[in-house]
Amino acid sequence: MAGLELLSDQGYRLDGRKPSELRKVQARMGVFTQADGSAYIEQGNTKALAVVYGPHEVRGSRSKALHDRAVINCQYSMATFSTAERKRRPHGDRKSSEMSLHLKQTFEAAVLTSLYPRSQIDIFVKILQSDGGNYSACVNAATLAVIDAGIPMRDYVCACSAGFVENTAVVDLCHAEESGGGTVMSLALLPRGGQVALVQMDARLHQDHLDALMEAAMTACRSLGQVLDGVVRQHLQEVSVLTAE
Amino acid sequence: MLKTEKVLHLKSSRGRKVRVVREHYVRERVPCCSALCQAGCANEDKVLPGDVTHYVVPDVAVVRDFLEVLEFRELRGIVFTQTACQAIQHSRGRRQYNRLRSLLKEPLHECVLFCNEFQQHTYCPRERDEPQEKWQTRCVYRAAVWYHEHLAGLMPVVMITEDPDAVAEYSSLSTGVYVISPQEYLQSFWPDVQAAQELYSSIAQALQERESEGQPREYPEHLPAEILEPGIKAGRYIQGTVRVNKHRAQQEAFIQLEDSTKSTEQGADILVWGMKHRNRAIHGDVVAVELLPCVDWRGRVTALTETEGDERTGEELQSPAIPTARVVGILQRTWRDYVVTFPPWEEVQSQSRNSQRILVTPWDRRIPKIHISTQRAEALQDHRVIVRLDSWESTSLYPNGHCVRVLGKAGELETEIQTILTENGIQVPPFSEAQLREMPVNSKENPWRVDPGQEVVRRDLRASHLVFSIDPQGCEDVDDALSVRMLPGGARLELGVHIADVTHFVRAGSLTDLEARSRATTYYLADRRYDMLPAVLSADLCSLLGGVDRYAMSVIWELDACSLAVRSVWFGRTLMRSSYQLCYEVAQSLLNEEPAEVPELSPLAEEDRRERLGELKQALAELTRVARHLRTQRDQGGALELEGLEVRAQLDADKNITALVPRVPLEIHETVAECMIYANHWVARKIQESFPQQALLRRHPPPRQEHFGPLTDSAKARGFHIDTRSNKALADSLDRAVDLHDPLVNRLLRVMATQAMSNALYFSTGSCPQEQYYHYGLALDRYTHFTSPIRRYADMVVHRLLMSAIESEGAAEPVETPANNKGLEETARHINGKNRAAQHAQKQSTELFQCLYFKDKDPLTDPRCVAEAVVYAIRANGLLVFIPRYGVKGAVYLRNRENQVVDVTGDGSCQWRPGSLQRFPDRICCVTVGGATHTFRLFDHITVRISVQVSRCHAGNLHLDVVSNRALEAPGPDRRPTGKSGTELVQEVVRWAEEASQQAEEHGTVSRFSKEEREYQQSKKPNLYCLLQEIRELALLDESNCQGPSLPSS
Repeated sequence: MAGLELLSDQGYRLDGRKPSELRKVQARMGVFTQADGSAYIEQGNTKALAVVYGPHEVRGSRSKALHDRAVINCQYSMATFSTAERKRRPHGDRKSSEMSLHLKQTFEAAVLTSLYPRSQIDIFVKILQSDGGNYSACVNAATLAVIDAGIPMRDYVCACSAGFVENTAVVDLCHAEESGGGTVMSLALLPRGGQVALVQMDARLHQDHLDALMEAAMTACRSLGQVLDGVVRQHLQEVSVLTAE
Repeated sequence: MLKTEKVLHLKSSRGRKVRVVREHYVRERVPCCSALCQAGCANEDKVLPGDVTHYVVPDVAVVRDFLEVLEFRELRGIVFTQTACQAIQHSRGRRQYNRLRSLLKEPLHECVLFCNEFQQHTYCPRERDEPQEKWQTRCVYRAAVWYHEHLAGLMPVVMITEDPDAVAEYSSLSTGVYVISPQEYLQSFWPDVQAAQELYSSIAQALQERESEGQPREYPEHLPAEILEPGIKAGRYIQGTVRVNKHRAQQEAFIQLEDSTKSTEQGADILVWGMKHRNRAIHGDVVAVELLPCVDWRGRVTALTETEGDERTGEELQSPAIPTARVVGILQRTWRDYVVTFPPWEEVQSQSRNSQRILVTPWDRRIPKIHISTQRAEALQDHRVIVRLDSWESTSLYPNGHCVRVLGKAGELETEIQTILTENGIQVPPFSEAQLREMPVNSKENPWRVDPGQEVVRRDLRASHLVFSIDPQGCEDVDDALSVRMLPGGARLELGVHIADVTHFVRAGSLTDLEARSRATTYYLADRRYDMLPAVLSADLCSLLGGVDRYAMSVIWELDACSLAVRSVWFGRTLMRSSYQLCYEVAQSLLNEEPAEVPELSPLAEEDRRERLGELKQALAELTRVARHLRTQRDQGGALELEGLEVRAQLDADKNITALVPRVPLEIHETVAECMIYANHWVARKIQESFPQQALLRRHPPPRQEHFGPLTDSAKARGFHIDTRSNKALADSLDRAVDLHDPLVNRLLRVMATQAMSNALYFSTGSCPQEQYYHYGLALDRYTHFTSPIRRYADMVVHRLLMSAIESEGAAEPVETPANNKGLEETARHINGKNRAAQHAQKQSTELFQCLYFKDKDPLTDPRCVAEAVVYAIRANGLLVFIPRYGVKGAVYLRNRENQVVDVTGDGSCQWRPGSLQRFPDRICCVTVGGATHTFRLFDHITVRISVQVSRCHAGNLHLDVVSNRALEAPGPDRRPTGKSGTELVQEVVRWAEEASQQAEEHGTVSRFSKEEREYQQSKKPNLYCLLQEIRELALLDESNCQGPSLPSS
């Protein structure tokens, strides 16, 4: 069974989606009360949990503190049961450090850190189940958690992955598509202004195709942004109903 | 719009069971691809017609096992389910799946794919402990029911399944959906498609046979791909393609390595000796081999073998040992359709106890015998039949196959022609109704006219230019016309080449275009031709006939009148009218100021005629001057001598007697050819500059020096030195190698030089570095084919490229090109393959006619069977000779099976005597027991007797015997001018065949088959072939040069 057919002649992907269709997104905010902000998101079979602490004073060595803005501290981890084979995943391995760094960069671009000088914001993300698009699920979950914590941001940060199969850009890749060996691009976007917070791509891609791929990923991010917006509004409605009582 | 559901799959990867969760999205709207759709599905490209009586949904097992039956075009309205497609992909692998995919894409076959697993109502999750087959059948049935309901019950749906339980379970569940078995289906719905039913039963029987097998092993098992791939990477195994030696199919096969860099490192090919070591690999398969230890290596046999099973091939007849290997695994099967011959019925009965399972012999000697299970063995005895291979188990000595189609009785002309076509993979059904409907009409009642819209867009040359065409006598598809005139002022000369505008009539992607692409070229056989385009185009509307308005693609150069340097060049679509349709002879006599009859001028008045004639003569003279100039330019670059090429290519490509016609070499031939080459060259430059990544060009790679070995050795025997370092040096030294007493020496040397050449190939510029664009034979840096769009598909592609190049010049934004590099490379490969097939078919059909010609002549009495021959190579036990009179090359044995050698008596006649042979590089000596010695040298003239070695299963061979060691003296009065005999040979054989079929008709036993075939025969006049042959040779000499040496290397 060498090489799955990622895109059929009829234009369907392995799981029955068309190239530009996202997986089903379900999200909840405020799942934990202990933390300042928390959120849970499911993008297809990828499930992520994000909690936010802060802003609070800088923990650990004081020298890390910045005098004009807040420090953002991100930590990414995967549950041992998140993949098909159970596997112990120690902290600080290369993959998760890289992911943590990416998250940090993304949120430094989005959170209005200058409002909180000499303080720290902690964002912890855990992948509960992994089925491709871990980075985007983390970003989306963390966005909701940051909003839940009431920390001001420039805009939602929405992330989505996109790949290139048989001259067609496909968005929101699942695990089977990611491991197919093709190009995978992750893109985080501030949808309202259209600013790109982070782009990451591995594997080769012809320059001519880059624009098409970026465009597909940005469109996907925008529609994700609408979904997240809906989730936030829904949540606010629920909360305000509760507080009104 | 979307609804998600999740399915669980249990999947094992690397042996371990892993639980994988995959999402599965289903939706309401999945296109049904039916013309009857009431719900407004978004049906694109291919839709099922509404005018069929029913739709048929085959289940998984039927698609898997009987896909070939479903491939019949007569079966219409087939709905393949996604379930079935995926099952095919998993169980039958990529090859079968790709076949299904291409079937679905084929626009002429009315079948579609329905993605039932993505449709909300047809998707059914597999239940716990449900067997896979049951689940698949359930899915397919749900799809069938959905179709029926979706089309609002307008169309009955038939589901076919092999499983009797399913028939029982589902057949009465819903009205309008019928569940039956495939056999029943074919019988009740397609009773007139006999072939499909036969194919079905033959596959079913083959399947049954396979199940009931269980015998001891004959061959070692193949290694699985998991072991082979790392092994190849590590260098333990070597990957290559199997090439079986035609003459020793039982013993010798060679492994042709994938990349040439490795093969130079290894020295040469790898030998695989014997069937055991070949381990079920068939000619053409891609295999992995393991080298044997050096002690087991052996050499290739250099003796000529008369019959197989020659046990006396001692060590002295072998070349030094070369790497020898055995096959350990097969990476890719390349099985195609094979033509086989059924044995006579008595033989079947004596051969095996089970007379339904018989062994048939393929026509191609390189293919092993095939086991066939059939009940029609008695009816099919001595018939040629197309079979497909199914499997080759390690328990079986021979592969298993099944019958696909019956061609006819062996030995009949039509059967043999069909055999040749099938063996070369050529399919030439008559043009379909739909294709002919696309054609413009040109009849007496409704003549075709120039479209006024086209008149505006095209440059009109009708009034301004004197256009004429020069072709062989009686030619009806005129591809090209020429014009030449002095521009006002006298400083510039304008030369125009006008090519039939085929692409105007054949739009890219139309049915005719698809058909032309799949044919790729017009096929010329010895007695007929199969056109690439329908006759209304090729012989009428596209043909640049005299005195009528025609569309053309033109290349027009402005040359400096004195120096003939190019000042400017114009490409574009034109509207023209050819004033004169000249033939070569007339044109040449006009050029020589000899009296000649120009038919177009005869009705005119005297002085008018003289004036017109003067004009024409002037033009011809100018043309010749330009052509001479172009020729010298190319000669300086090192172009190989065309005249020589012409002769030797003819010899080589078709071995036809026309080949050695001492044709009066007219300068006008060369003039026309030169203009065409020039046009091709400039078009190549133009499209390559406009589309550096996706232009279709033609390259002729320089030959490999080691191939020149036989040429230089033979030349040395006559004291000539051949310099092969560059094309210029080669051309010069071939020119010098002329023996004044024997003109054949030079010709034979040129034949050998042609054999050393590589093939010229079409390619897409994006897939080849620029320094490889060079055309060796013509000495041009860029070359393509532009001038014969009527009979070559490559020219049509080039026409389209040129048009988009011209359009993109005017337009601000880039116009979309017809194809990307990948697609174009694919096209180029396809055309190259078809060209090769066309040449093989042509060669084989010529050989067939030679055999038929000599078949009913008694070699001992008929003087036509004795001919003069020239020795051109020496082998260990014989000579290779060339017979100029018939253009035949063949082997002459100097030792027979009783180990006797040829002895020459005083008067030159020969007889067999006990003795031995001694071989030297340039001669071979026969030493008889009595002590007499006779030597045969290279380029000796001898006399041979030609007889036919009839073979039931294969193509017949000509057998040559030495009659005398001297040239044939005093040619008898019946000896005809050699130029005619080729045509006559074909005519005689055709007449013979017609008489035979008439006789058969009288007896009322004419086979249905040969009638059908006669309809396919597109040209009734056999000698039209000769004319077309000449166009081919003359209009584009380079082609014959390039394609000449396409003899298989083995």
